[in-house]
Amino acid sequence: MMDFWLERIYFGVCAAMAIAGAIGTVAFPNPIRGAMSLLFTIVAIAGMYLQLHAPFLAAIQLIVYAGAVVVLFLFVIMLIGPAATATRDARGLLARAIGGLAASAVSLQIILVLSRKVFARVPVAQGGFGSIESIGDLLFGEYLVPFEISSFLLMIAIVGAVAVARGKQPDPQLADEGETKAPKPTAEAHP
Amino acid sequence: MSAYAPMFLLFAVGLLLVLAFFVGTSLLGPKNKGAEHQLPFECGSESTGGRHIRLSVKFYLTAILFVVFDIEAVFLYPWGVKFRSLGWSGLVSMLGFLSVLVVGLVYCWKKGALEWEK
Amino acid sequence: MSLWFALSPLIVLTFGGLGLMMADAFSKTRSDLALGSFLTFTSAGLFALALWIMGGVPAAVMLKVAPYIVLDKFTLFFTATICLGGAISSLLAGGYLPEHDIDRGEFYALMILAAIGAVLLAAAGDFLSLFIGLETMSLGVYCMTGFRRTNPRSAEGALKYFLLGSFAAALMLYGGALIYGATGSTSIEGIRTALTSGEFGTLRDPSRLATVVIAMVLVLVGLAFKISAVPFHMWTPDAYQGAPTPATAFMSVVVKAAAVATMMRVLLVAFGDKASSSWSSGWPPVIAGMAVLTMLVANFIALRQENVKRMLAYSSIAHAGYLLVGMVAAWGQGNEIVAGEGRAALLFYMLQYTVTQAGAFGALILCGSKGKEAVTYEDLAGLGRRHPGAALPFALFIISLAGVPPTAGFFGKLYLFRAAVDGGFTWLAIIGLLNSALGAYYYLRVLVFLYMKEPAPGAAQATPMKSGYIYGALAIAAALVLYFGILPGKALEMAASAGKSLGAKIEVREVPTKMPDTATAALP
Repeated sequence: MMDFWLERIYFGVCAAMAIAGAIGTVAFPNPIRGAMSLLFTIVAIAGMYLQLHAPFLAAIQLIVYAGAVVVLFLFVIMLIGPAATATRDARGLLARAIGGLAASAVSLQIILVLSRKVFARVPVAQGGFGSIESIGDLLFGEYLVPFEISSFLLMIAIVGAVAVARGKQPDPQLADEGETKAPKPTAEAHP
Repeated sequence: MSAYAPMFLLFAVGLLLVLAFFVGTSLLGPKNKGAEHQLPFECGSESTGGRHIRLSVKFYLTAILFVVFDIEAVFLYPWGVKFRSLGWSGLVSMLGFLSVLVVGLVYCWKKGALEWEK
Repeated sequence: MSLWFALSPLIVLTFGGLGLMMADAFSKTRSDLALGSFLTFTSAGLFALALWIMGGVPAAVMLKVAPYIVLDKFTLFFTATICLGGAISSLLAGGYLPEHDIDRGEFYALMILAAIGAVLLAAAGDFLSLFIGLETMSLGVYCMTGFRRTNPRSAEGALKYFLLGSFAAALMLYGGALIYGATGSTSIEGIRTALTSGEFGTLRDPSRLATVVIAMVLVLVGLAFKISAVPFHMWTPDAYQGAPTPATAFMSVVVKAAAVATMMRVLLVAFGDKASSSWSSGWPPVIAGMAVLTMLVANFIALRQENVKRMLAYSSIAHAGYLLVGMVAAWGQGNEIVAGEGRAALLFYMLQYTVTQAGAFGALILCGSKGKEAVTYEDLAGLGRRHPGAALPFALFIISLAGVPPTAGFFGKLYLFRAAVDGGFTWLAIIGLLNSALGAYYYLRVLVFLYMKEPAPGAAQATPMKSGYIYGALAIAAALVLYFGILPGKALEMAASAGKSLGAKIEVREVPTKMPDTATAALP
């Protein structure tokens, strides 16, 4: 009984954190705060993985997403200039309203459908499921082919990063601008 | 869940410690109130410029290469744990995966993507 | 046949791509990466053809990598098409990049790795490998679009493409997750089995069916984005216009081919069950509606373009609409014969579109040179008289895009619309024909400018560039356009055979072994 309630509370805390973080990510006008909210969501989801008996996934979530991807986001935000927040404009207000309505309708539909018991009856996970050993067995057994081809995905990320961020650019004046004489942050324009 | 109890205990201790430090400094630390205290201290010179600086694209390149090789390293954990039982086939599969990425490493090394000053 | 030979197109691409990267990184002098890239694509394509001629990959070998990579004739056909598009694009890059001062070796590595993603996407028989292939291809193409980083148009196109593309990929991933939840399988074959048998075959639970429908819609959105069908085409004109032209050629043929292959596999196989593919409750009316919308919107906007590259981008969207007509024909209301004809027509259309569209972008590259790219109709004015050699290939590809005999485009459209009529979609074929007529207007406008207009006095004139690579690429594309336009029989036959192999169950037929079973005989 105790365990039952503990698990409920634990899930509730994680879910609330994840949702709050997600709302913060899209709602904060300051991109750095947005990235930090995303970090919040990521940590909460790692907590959910723990509850789902996937400790390895939880660790990966923390190492890769919280440790590396959010840092990458922050670098990119700093690269663009964190003060470069979008100014509010009324352009496309109608389109935005229609988009918002459509998105809400789809979400509502998805919620309605998922609130019934719609998922195939998958067998209950065996003990040790989600452990690092069982992931090793699956990764190098059944899922060997997707594992091998995922190296191409990582590879193209390397080449793409080198291609976009480095290399000679036709106009050196333009190419250096981002690095040496950064234009004045736009923050002063709209305090 | 109870298997993770020590971990959560650690979290709780960490959180408490941080809270304790914050509360402790505000309770125990000396308090200087006044206009002088609010001034930015910058070795005597007036502070100029915006609040934010723009980072060089080099940071981005380093960060994304770090992410890529971080993910590669992640795949090594399950392989390492199951190394014995996977045997030669596991070794060959891992070498196949790694050799592609080693080429990527050599590539960005030679291209100078790992160098800071250039 | 060994697994290595069966996978040889992919292996050749891998080694070629890695080799080019090493050559690019290590060589002190400029090495001929364009030629290397061309040879890689050509030999990968030839390996695919060799596998085809040997009768395809035996089921026993296919099973070793199935369902993640399905090596049926359908995959081989698309592998060859992708390699053809890649080969032409790499030659175009070999001429274009040095001319416009963006000659960096990464371009070729990106192109080959993206092509590997495209082949994997076309071959994917499971949502896992499908997604990996999709992302590999897309990442490469995003970077190729933004290759000219300091050019604002290039950066804008890349950013739009990247943001919308990742959004579409996320939707698709969500669809895949839902379908896994509903059917308990991620493989195309497994989903098909789950939907046709058991609980779903005698489906009484409407909410679970609704899950499948939502998943289907999400996956469809992701794929429609990749083939740039209206209303998911917003990124296309900007990305196509901003990208370096060889990258545009690559995007408009290779990415589209891979997405069409996946769309066929997902819709015709995974969602090919009665409920999901019926006119009343399944995907066919959605595809048909999207086809009509795509053709109409793209052709009407293309009419108003003053920029030829942008016009070709809208023309590429319009062709996505024709391909969707083919998709409906390939469904053929579940009738095997009609569907076979539709699949063949769709595959043939894709093949001829690949050479025609890549050729058209190549011809556009040829018309400009350093400092002055040919981009507007005005830039083309009078080229037919000043530089007949540059105008002639352009005219040929434009005629083929418009669908005039004796070019490949004519037979492509003929088979496609005939298959649609045979499938009972006469109205769709009529709309398609009317749109072709509309398209002819802006295609012919290019010819008018090439041959009947004179440049405005004092305007800066684009002079055609000189490059052996471009000539080579155009020669290959032109030869194939004429070959498919005059002797389409062989290609159509291959398309029919490839279409037939799609979705066939991979089974090892029991072959009686002549060898005495010594292992068991020796046992006491």
